[in-house]
Amino acid sequence: MVAALVVLVVAAALIALGRPHHRSSVAPVAAAEPAHSDPSVPGVPVEVGADVCGQGWTGGKAGRQTFALWDNSSVGVEVYLQNTDTGKVYFDAEGIGVDVTRSFSAVIGPGHYRLYCLPSDGDGLPGPTVTVTGTAPASTTPAMAPVTDADLFGPIAKYHAWVTSRFPTLLRQVRALKDDLGRGDTAAAKKDWLAGHMTYETMGAAYDAFGDDNDAINGMPASGVDPAKDPHLHGFHKIEARLWGGADPAAITPAADQLVKAVSKLRTDFKGERLNTIDIGLRSHEILENALQFVLNGTDDAGSGTSLATLDANITGTLAAMKPIRPLLRTRDTELAETDRWIKRSRALVRSYDHHGTWTSLDALSTRQREDLNATISETTELLSRVATITEPRGATQ
Amino acid sequence: MTDQECPFAHGMSRRGLLGRALGTAAGAASVGALAFVGAAHADDTSTPSASASADPGSGSEGTTAERSSYPFEGTHQQGILTEKQRQAAFLSLDVTTSSRRELQDLLKTITDQARFLTTGGTQPNAGLVETDPDSGIVGPTVAADGLTVTLGVGASLFDDRFGLAKQKPARLTRMEAFPNDALDPALCHGDLMLQLCANNTDTVLHALRQITRATRGSMQIRWRQDGFQSPPRPSGTPRNLLGFKDGTGNPASDDTGLMEQLVWTKGGGAEPAWVEGGSYQAVRIIRMLVEFWDRVSILEQERIFGRAKDTGAPLSGDAEFDTPVYDQYGDSIAYDAHIRLANPRTSNTADQRPFRRSFNYDNGVDPNGNLDMGHLFVAFNQDLERQFITVQKRLIDEPLVDYVSPIGGGYFFALPGVQGSSDWLGRGMFA
Repeated sequence: MVAALVVLVVAAALIALGRPHHRSSVAPVAAAEPAHSDPSVPGVPVEVGADVCGQGWTGGKAGRQTFALWDNSSVGVEVYLQNTDTGKVYFDAEGIGVDVTRSFSAVIGPGHYRLYCLPSDGDGLPGPTVTVTGTAPASTTPAMAPVTDADLFGPIAKYHAWVTSRFPTLLRQVRALKDDLGRGDTAAAKKDWLAGHMTYETMGAAYDAFGDDNDAINGMPASGVDPAKDPHLHGFHKIEARLWGGADPAAITPAADQLVKAVSKLRTDFKGERLNTIDIGLRSHEILENALQFVLNGTDDAGSGTSLATLDANITGTLAAMKPIRPLLRTRDTELAETDRWIKRSRALVRSYDHHGTWTSLDALSTRQREDLNATISETTELLSRVATITEPRGATQ
Repeated sequence: MTDQECPFAHGMSRRGLLGRALGTAAGAASVGALAFVGAAHADDTSTPSASASADPGSGSEGTTAERSSYPFEGTHQQGILTEKQRQAAFLSLDVTTSSRRELQDLLKTITDQARFLTTGGTQPNAGLVETDPDSGIVGPTVAADGLTVTLGVGASLFDDRFGLAKQKPARLTRMEAFPNDALDPALCHGDLMLQLCANNTDTVLHALRQITRATRGSMQIRWRQDGFQSPPRPSGTPRNLLGFKDGTGNPASDDTGLMEQLVWTKGGGAEPAWVEGGSYQAVRIIRMLVEFWDRVSILEQERIFGRAKDTGAPLSGDAEFDTPVYDQYGDSIAYDAHIRLANPRTSNTADQRPFRRSFNYDNGVDPNGNLDMGHLFVAFNQDLERQFITVQKRLIDEPLVDYVSPIGGGYFFALPGVQGSSDWLGRGMFA
């Protein structure tokens, strides 16, 4: 049964590769003394862990190689398959537990490779370099040099500085909003509300990035509750609901005052906040993911009809998060040009609904216009998911 | 099948697809594996058990064994004469690009996805640079599971966006409302109609997710209606949600000569040459007022249809497949009975019969507490006007209209089949 399984896997590999006539896909050559991995896990048994790395793999032929990685140590381990000629990594087997066997595979070309173990409590342990021979397959698993924490410290500092640099503008705008309301000037208040809200929406608050501070500044209108009367709603959307709902400006001033205080508090909190290295790639992707979920279906609109302005600000925020990691992406993301093309397309489409500061509301869009918008933002978000994956920090190999 | 090395070779750069080789079940080993799956289904159905309905991989009591896969390539598309699968999703889509080249890329992407999904196989690993290209909802290896993918085009695709006006199938029009219709504009028309049918719902949803993900920037769902086919109860033609066997009089799909007359479109004459081998598709979402219907006596229900509710026999006969006799006084089958109006069975109405491939649907509940369910009417025609529209006009104000309400749908032209590994759906339009 085990033998049959292995044969099936090999057969599948042949087909997946699609070039059986070249016989370029062969199972990895097993060493004489196989590791004691779980025999039901497909692949050639390879021992990994804190003391031994790559025992059992001796190279073999180019094509799909499937490994049954068995952690024969007392700690969990992360394992790379790395081409030692290029430094590129084909898979990152994360979090293999003690005495656990897991199957990983990759389609690789001829060259020199090694498995590289990163035990959870110790230094990296390179496995022996082996030679893979044979003909290059039609396509191989996309590989890249892993992005490490060290690669991301600089970009994170730059991004932190950029967000920090937005606070004076934001504070000026929310103070102007408060003053407008104090003077009873609703027209000016609406203008300053929009300016302030757009600034905040560039700052990457998606998916709880600013925690409780975001609830005080930009809490989301709850379903089935009148946002103008909701005692649990604070910040921009509370003010929006009351301002566009025709409330007396004087009655809104206290909410604007609270908003100014909340922004000041976030500014202080943010100064001391240490962003994680994983955050910058996540925000590059998730600002628009958040926009798809909450902006494009109108959930966060409390009456101003400025969802498309929010979306424009979100695109600005996405570009700001991407900017410091572009050097990392340029050498790794083969779709970066396509991603930029779609961001540009998104921005142009969204801005076509800006009529000198008056934005078309979502409700006013025709079915076709709405479909076009959904298609453009969705495709852009699909592409941006690569950025988060590529810049996910992984353990160093050197 | 020599191009299986690079099934996504049409030069599109949709995420996750560029430069990938997708494994398909074109090779002998995988075909063997699929055959095994098919055999397992046959075993399940030959020994029906109480747990059969709880097992998503099994067939159901009384049904014939489900087929595991249908060939993707052919003169005609699959999913037209294919014996109805149990689950279906109908997606009306609008094309969101206005570039002719991007429309071509879109059609190539749909073709590539359909080819892989209807064949089955394993997607390669994503590596470190992207998220997994497969949603994984049918497991690491995709089984064809009887999936058919059928693509049609609506009249709106031939407007001024793509320079295709001259290539419009001559008999393709925008669906007009019939007098008894209550059409919701949000549930009507569309540039494309994508029909996904399979043995199981997860396979339908997997195909839906894979195809929409690979085409996000180029098309968006305008409306969607899922459907299902009931098993025979207890035998014969499956029932609709009014409790009647539905489709007993459908033309026989294995009568090739008849299908040439009723289903397949011919190029030439008024038609552009490229339509050869396609078929006009009418899709209608017909809400059934089931609570009202259940408050109507069986006698009246049977008079409305012209058939017995239990056996499906025409009221003039004893068994389901007895030929109805339309007596001149309307004694057994009333003049305005549904089957009599729909198919008068005269020599000059014989070529008016469409080929039906309808499903039931179940959409939840209305604010008044009534169940929202009905009939997803699907009919393939050589000529919409001669067939579906003519029959539908005869049915205007039939007694059944009090209990059903057409709320959406549209007319589409199901494209000719993909012939050869370098062909793609709709290629003929651009010739």
